[in-house]
Amino acid sequence: MSAVSHRTRLTVVPSYRIAIGRGLSILAALSIVAITLAAMGRSPIELAGLVVRSTVGSRFGIEDLALFMTPLMLTGAAVWVGIRVNLWNIGAEGQLYAGATAATAIGLFTHWPAFVALPAMIVAGMLAGAAWIFVPAAARAWLSVSEIVTSLLLNFVASLLVYYLATGPWADRVTGALASTERLHMAFPEFWGAVHLGFILALATVIGLGVGLAKSRFGYETAVCGSNPQAAHYAGIGVAPRILAVLLLSGALAGLAGVFEVAGTVHRLQGGLANNYGYLGIVVALLARGSCLALIPAALLMALILDTGIVLQTTQISSSAVLAITGLLVLAIAAGDELAAYVRVNRT
Amino acid sequence: MALLSDLLGHAVLSGSVLALGALGEVIAERAGVLDLGVEGLMSLGAVVAVMTVTATPHPWLGLLAAGLVGGLGAGVLALSSVVLRANQVLCGVAITFLGLGLSSVIGRSVAGIPISAVFEPVSIPVLSSIPVIGPAFFSQNVLVYLIYLVLPALVHFWMFRTRSGLDLRAVGENPAAADAVGVPVMRLRALAVILGGVLAGLAGADLTLAVVPVWSDGMIAGRGWIAVALVIFAGYRPVVAVLSGLLFGLVTAVGFMGQARGWPIAPAILNTLPYLGTVACIIVPMLAFAKLRSAMAAPAALGTPYYRSGR
Repeated sequence: MSAVSHRTRLTVVPSYRIAIGRGLSILAALSIVAITLAAMGRSPIELAGLVVRSTVGSRFGIEDLALFMTPLMLTGAAVWVGIRVNLWNIGAEGQLYAGATAATAIGLFTHWPAFVALPAMIVAGMLAGAAWIFVPAAARAWLSVSEIVTSLLLNFVASLLVYYLATGPWADRVTGALASTERLHMAFPEFWGAVHLGFILALATVIGLGVGLAKSRFGYETAVCGSNPQAAHYAGIGVAPRILAVLLLSGALAGLAGVFEVAGTVHRLQGGLANNYGYLGIVVALLARGSCLALIPAALLMALILDTGIVLQTTQISSSAVLAITGLLVLAIAAGDELAAYVRVNRT
Repeated sequence: MALLSDLLGHAVLSGSVLALGALGEVIAERAGVLDLGVEGLMSLGAVVAVMTVTATPHPWLGLLAAGLVGGLGAGVLALSSVVLRANQVLCGVAITFLGLGLSSVIGRSVAGIPISAVFEPVSIPVLSSIPVIGPAFFSQNVLVYLIYLVLPALVHFWMFRTRSGLDLRAVGENPAAADAVGVPVMRLRALAVILGGVLAGLAGADLTLAVVPVWSDGMIAGRGWIAVALVIFAGYRPVVAVLSGLLFGLVTAVGFMGQARGWPIAPAILNTLPYLGTVACIIVPMLAFAKLRSAMAAPAALGTPYYRSGR
């Protein structure tokens, strides 16, 4: 009558297990951060209090969170549409720059009224983002060249080109500001403090994307291509064009993030504009898992972490600490999600 | 003539960082683990080497410390992506975040301060007096000789001429079959990731102790990612990976030369060369030679965690 217990791995993991796993992972990551801070001679509790007060504790803090969330929701969506079909676009940073550059071109060199210029910026930015990923996407679709490395390497190119534009041909000659263009002639209207229309549009994009992919033929066919390319091929679905389409969509979403960032939040094109939003989009997509709508709370969590970074910076801790904290969090959550799939089974 | 020699010398030097990183990545990927933590581990290695050398003026100690830190970081990666079988792309990106962030935090005290204890060039008698290639290839620091001659030969011999090398490749191609004949899949994969991490850490130390003798935030600037790309370009072959490191050193050197000699091209544009060159080099051969696609194919199980019960 001895009970043999062993562990088995679930193929479909119930969400409560994921929730528990994530709770524990986040707790573990935060504990490591707290212990490290304590070892550096800082009081983690005091810092945590400071973080809470300067984020959700004030009007400014909440506005800041919304501004951070805007690009994060979109870069998160960009990475998410790829992961959904087993494609990894880790070049959202570059596509964001491309979108921002296209929007800046319209913002600097036209004097169109806002109701023409703003939609034009959105279209141009999305096209630019899609164009930036076109070569890696086509190479992945038809030549099976891994999109991971190619999309990533173009980030460095985009960042260098934006730096070149902002300090060279497009540099601000009016106020002589360092390393940025002059202020764009038009901006997305602000409706609540510094929070601009881009926030609403980003929310709407995420919701629209979730509904669209769940209900449309395109969403279904790409999902089939992602989970079993051979089955898709035999069912008469052309895999390569759909891989291309998904990656172009991904690039367009990241480009849109760039449009809102430059024409809503920052108002000038400058080096470092992307602020790691492209990379953090990977984290947002990881947190959201299978659900598109979950991108919204995931972006909120990531925005909180970014704000934490700013708070840490004011207390003489390098702002890069936030990158390390993010890495730790991703590691913990990725491992936690996997561990949550194991259940103990008793056999007699 | 002096220009060509300078160019080659610079190519050999800056290519050594990429070659070493790519060599480590070949080992990990041959075992079936897509290790995307190279950029972060290189960064940690670079800063730890500088910190060690600032404390004790021995470049060898700095190198050792960087290797240890690289191995330690890769141990975390092995634990999460091999033992716990979490998604390899996510774990790798997380290690890169962690490495970049951590190295920036701990490197604040040494940032921007040039170090004095570096690996000095060693001229090989006779060979170093050959015109043009003599100064470029045979009066470099000792790491260059290790990276271009000793290490690739060792790794190649291990991978293709020994039993454990065969096991390593089997684990990357078909872990279930390897498991069935008694090869410890998880242990070999973890070992390969850690070894790759040690080499990534050493590559970072090579950068700060032999190429650019100062730590500054963001100085790795994608070298780790280029190393990952070179592995694809090299078709997962150790010797070819090292040679392609040299090729990309040359691309970097051309940009550097352009800057130094004041070519009428903005430095930012010249700096895009290595990245664009890498992208072109992994796409164009596939486009041009369809036959290459099978010869250069990735290990069959690359990126997939191994579950013994999985069917």
